[in-house]
Amino acid sequence: QVSVINTVDTSHEDMIHDAQMDYYGTRLATCSSDRSVKIFDVRNGGQILIADLRGHEGPVWQVAWAHPMYGNILASCSYDRKVIIWKEDNGTWEKTYEYTGHDSSVNSVCWAPHDYGLILACGSSDGAISLLSYTGDGQWEVKKISNAHTIGCNAVSWAPAVVPGSLIEQPSGQKPNYVKRFASGGCDNLVKIWKEEDSQWKEEQKLEAHSDWVRDVAWAPSIGLPTSTIASCSQDGRVFIWTCDDASGNSWSPKLLHKFNDVVWHVSWSITANILAVSGGDNKVTLWKESVDGLWACISDVNKGQGGVSAVTEGQQNEQ
Amino acid sequence: MEEPDTEPPLVVVPGADPSARQLCFAWGPAEVLVCETRFGRAGGSRSRSRSMSRALTGSVADTGEGAPGSSRVFVVRRDQDIYIQTLRKLFNESHGIFMGLQRSEEELAGKSRKAQLVQVSKNYRSVIRACMEDMHQAAVSTRDPALQGQYSTQVSILSAMELIWNLCEILFVEAAAAGPLLLRLLDWVRLHVCDVDSMVREVLSSENPSKHKLFWNVVDVFVLQGRMDEARHLLSKEVAANPTSMNMYKILDDLMKKMPMPSLGNTQTLTELELKWQHWHEECQRFLQDGTFASNPHMESICKILVGDEDAILEKKELMTTWYHFLVTRLLYSHPTVKPMELRFYAQSSMDLFLGGESSPEPLDMILMAAFEFEMHQVIKECSIVLSNWWFVAHLTDLLDHCKLLQSHNLYFGSNMREFLLLEYASGLFSHHSLWQLGVDYFDHCPEFGRVYLELHIERIPLNTEQKALKVLRICEQRQMHEQVRSICKIMAMKALRNNRLGSALSWSIRAKDAAFATLISDRFLKDYCERGCFSDLDLIDNLGPSMLLSDRLTFLGKYREFHRLYGEKRFPEAARLLLTLMTAHIAPCSFWMTLLTDALPLLEQKEIIFSAEQTYELMRCLEDLTAGNSSDPSSAPFQEDDVETTKVEMLRLALARNLARVIVKEGTVEGS
Repeated sequence: QVSVINTVDTSHEDMIHDAQMDYYGTRLATCSSDRSVKIFDVRNGGQILIADLRGHEGPVWQVAWAHPMYGNILASCSYDRKVIIWKEDNGTWEKTYEYTGHDSSVNSVCWAPHDYGLILACGSSDGAISLLSYTGDGQWEVKKISNAHTIGCNAVSWAPAVVPGSLIEQPSGQKPNYVKRFASGGCDNLVKIWKEEDSQWKEEQKLEAHSDWVRDVAWAPSIGLPTSTIASCSQDGRVFIWTCDDASGNSWSPKLLHKFNDVVWHVSWSITANILAVSGGDNKVTLWKESVDGLWACISDVNKGQGGVSAVTEGQQNEQ
Repeated sequence: MEEPDTEPPLVVVPGADPSARQLCFAWGPAEVLVCETRFGRAGGSRSRSRSMSRALTGSVADTGEGAPGSSRVFVVRRDQDIYIQTLRKLFNESHGIFMGLQRSEEELAGKSRKAQLVQVSKNYRSVIRACMEDMHQAAVSTRDPALQGQYSTQVSILSAMELIWNLCEILFVEAAAAGPLLLRLLDWVRLHVCDVDSMVREVLSSENPSKHKLFWNVVDVFVLQGRMDEARHLLSKEVAANPTSMNMYKILDDLMKKMPMPSLGNTQTLTELELKWQHWHEECQRFLQDGTFASNPHMESICKILVGDEDAILEKKELMTTWYHFLVTRLLYSHPTVKPMELRFYAQSSMDLFLGGESSPEPLDMILMAAFEFEMHQVIKECSIVLSNWWFVAHLTDLLDHCKLLQSHNLYFGSNMREFLLLEYASGLFSHHSLWQLGVDYFDHCPEFGRVYLELHIERIPLNTEQKALKVLRICEQRQMHEQVRSICKIMAMKALRNNRLGSALSWSIRAKDAAFATLISDRFLKDYCERGCFSDLDLIDNLGPSMLLSDRLTFLGKYREFHRLYGEKRFPEAARLLLTLMTAHIAPCSFWMTLLTDALPLLEQKEIIFSAEQTYELMRCLEDLTAGNSSDPSSAPFQEDDVETTKVEMLRLALARNLARVIVKEGTVEGS
């Protein structure tokens, strides 16, 4: 059984496109077609509007919270081709940086693992992916991957930070040699993996399996196993789970999770990567878990209803 | 792809508008976010060429405007038991038992180890019972009917848990052998089938029990539960009132007295018992067939029960209330030396006979059946499905694992059943503001994934207070989780800085070994000093010690403060030397040189000569470097030529010149001459 422990009335004047909790679950950021980004304090079941951020000139598609060690920072991207980074200073939220380097709607933003610094990846309908890195003193450095996906890029997702091989603590001040990677999904039906080499971003892998636009990609958090896992979903109604067993990241193999009857829009992993949430076009969110024999099973459908709460009798051994 | 064998359960989010098209979903650390949205217009309109947009929603408005949907976002959370206040004791105390079990002596072998494990099992059960008591009290004392309902439900769930656990303890942990097995099962039934207790009490406490209309029911209950002494006692009252049945009574009483029962000690072997029991059984049979009890139907039915007549026993269905009571009664009167492995046959047939096709087994029945069949994995699986929390299965499985009963049943995550369940249970604890601390210990005892799960979860604990942050930090430090330590320290440093608590921010960044941040904060300190003329957090800066070396700026801050201290203590030569070193050794940033030189002024103006000639030359050189813009620091701004600065420079030059003059004379003068 679930309870709605809080219903936040955002007062957005138009459709909400994204809602994200911050790291600790104390704040909620929402963005909407009404061009605003709102931030609420949701501690203890409350809903206090902390900020109503205006600055975009079109529907805002996504918001993303940066790691708290950098302060309270939120990124938003919009149809107006802009990416705005907002920061809280002395209790007030303000625009701290605006990036206008894309020619078309920016569809997705995703912060890199905090170990890499403060880096934001942005995917746009102009087919390019930009990487904005904070270099200090209010300055951001931009690297652009042009033509990452023909027609457009719909989603970006970073791989968890894993130091290759080394388990020894690095002496203080020295940054370990991280291999930075992220995945992107685009209108060319492809999922691509990008790797940073010599300060340049290169396409490392092309994952082909979808027959229509890839709508979302999500790289699973690491639980210490040498395997990497990516989930991708597409206009073609399919959700694939890609796994790569070796550390060099060369051989990715897809497993079809399910074919839905409608477009699948979003996929996201729980914190310990054992549950995948899939938002489909058919009015539901389904939750999936990998079972004993490596097969994926749907453990519940989250749906809307007429107000009554139906009892959840968990299916199979795995329960949410 | 795999088709699930059952339809996945539908979770309905209460209050959401069913007419809205889609659900947007996001994971929070503990809760999830669900909001109504409409995909499609976003995607369809994102493309450059509108002709390619997918008209899924039948609208091509590319700004995403149109019918506004609901502007609500639902924060949804699974109804976890950890949020029920009255269960808190359960989680806390079972944690203690769990830890004790993990640390217990593995060296004890055989009987003593088994006794130890049985004790642990009993401890768990007593915690459950204590909780039941509390819950029952809460149910009785509340006036709110909804709450009362909730509490009552909890009581029955806890009761079921204890019932199952008790049976598992008998069959698996203690692994009672034939003989004692029956005694244990009898105890189990007596303890848990309580529906008849009030009736029993009523009859016993009445003035004339034998006249009570439920008298014979109570006698039957005692017989069915093997409580011979109590049954005989009641019967004696009856015969005292009705002397005519004295003869029958004597015979029945004798039979009941002589009934052979298994014993706990080793006073007789199983074969001996079986033999005795056979004889006794035959004797009962004879009396029955001779029609000894024909005139008293009550006594006759009792005798039928004694010979294990199934139909006679089944007639008393209402007094037994459950099929497992029926099972144990059957065994008592037909096969008291039943072996553990034989239970399954009797169990299945008992359930069938008792339910008689009228009702179907409930989940609880299936779990108990699985236990009687010694299918431990099945028991755990069914319990996982039925119960709303992982508490029960996690702790029970852990105990069974310690009894070395579970073969390693390899799972993808959690590498074995025990670890899998403990990970799930502990993960659930982390969403609670104080129970998360228990979770840490559970993760510690999951050898494969415990550590990484802990790393992932502990980062999400809100660090609301310094105290909490320190607690979390200590946990990470104890486990050498260096990344998490650094991360937490950085977060706290940033928080402190945002709230202008520079001292706190500095000490956190030192702890995080974050040089960049330390530099930033040191700059803030120095800026504050320039603006206000004094330092804040002197204690901290004075006691930096070796951590001063974390960053150059920090070192400078520490040394600069030292300069001020020396000056304050009137140790001028030392102060002067330090001041000079700060510039010549380039510890001081060039931007600060002017300030340092200005600090040198009072030293130059002292009556006593402090700077030596060489030092004075050095100072002059520094000044010239600064004003000429020849500083070695490329990032420093070119020297500002404005009135204030020019005046300062003039004053310095004058002071330096004067000092030089005095010092040359002094150094040139031969002592004593």
